[in-house]
Amino acid sequence: MDKTEYFNNLVVRLEELFFHELSDCAAWKTEMIGVDFIQSANITGSTPEEIIESCIREITKAGLASEITYSISGKGILLRMNVKDCIHIPKETTIKAHGVEPYNCPIANMIRDQLIEKLQYETTYVASMDTDEAAKECALQVAIYETSDKIGEVTDWSNE
Amino acid sequence: MNDIIDVLTSRKSIRRYKPDPVPEEMIDKILEAARWAPTGENYQPWRFIVIRDQEMKDKIGALSKVGSGSRMTAWYCLGHMQKRFEKIEDPVKRAEVLRFMYSGEVSEFCRQAPVIIAVIGDLRVGSVDVPYDLSAAAENILLEAHSLGLGACWVHGPVATTRDAKKFKELLDIPTGMGDYKVIAYIAIGWPAEARKHPRPKLPLEEMVYWEKFGQKERP
Repeated sequence: MDKTEYFNNLVVRLEELFFHELSDCAAWKTEMIGVDFIQSANITGSTPEEIIESCIREITKAGLASEITYSISGKGILLRMNVKDCIHIPKETTIKAHGVEPYNCPIANMIRDQLIEKLQYETTYVASMDTDEAAKECALQVAIYETSDKIGEVTDWSNE
Repeated sequence: MNDIIDVLTSRKSIRRYKPDPVPEEMIDKILEAARWAPTGENYQPWRFIVIRDQEMKDKIGALSKVGSGSRMTAWYCLGHMQKRFEKIEDPVKRAEVLRFMYSGEVSEFCRQAPVIIAVIGDLRVGSVDVPYDLSAAAENILLEAHSLGLGACWVHGPVATTRDAKKFKELLDIPTGMGDYKVIAYIAIGWPAEARKHPRPKLPLEEMVYWEKFGQKERP
């Protein structure tokens, strides 16, 4: 039995049920899914780049994804990430096939969690999540707010 | 029995309030209205926290601003907000409305409300429909406040994410366990300081009503 497939299918059922109950708000409420793993790791750093790279090392070392690239732009608010060969890609593919757009990325949740826990970031928000099943890759845009003053600092992300 | 359709159709969300206090007897009537909301199997899981302390209202306002602003800043940066408000033709007015939204100020107004009522539900009483019961109670609060000449607004922003909901609970000493209490919203209440214009346009019934089966728009 493929245990990863088994657990991904469990999560799919939970996620589609949760979306059915809460519509788009489901995405806002799943921010803690995945944080237990990263909180058990020794993530260190004093800048967002150091924290993110520390998370990436732990995530890839554990085999949860083969490669994660990232950039920070948009006045320090826009965190772009590409997650390749994620262990949860089958989850995203299946839930999409069931008619629900993927909305919960445990990998992004881990990184958001550590920015908050280790650098006391005010809040974060996953603004978009695009899954490419063929390439086995997810592209995410995450808003990360170091302080409450950063809220309202807008830029055009299509030019970032 | 009085028809309440005029109360229902004249209500709108009020976000600006006069500083005048809301009389105790009006608060009691509003809470009484909430108490009579429909509830599955009469479980009555709702609990209400009436907040008038300015320091607490400021903290809740700040949390609300961050909650709504964090999402709307991102939506603006993606271009979604601009599309949503493209019907505002005056570019200066449109820009101001957009700034009001993405800055989070749209949800900060509870600081000026004389009263805030947090609507929470006890998850431990065995109720089967807590969010639905709480929503019915919240609606009763809005309608009773309006019928008394007060203005009110249902605000979900500060409790929309798991972390924010926990912060909200901690502010008010609500137990934070996921199996303890559900917080769905707070409702800001006060004397309206903005003109009660006609409610925003609503979809016509023809677009939302089916007869006998889904999709059947013709009344038999």
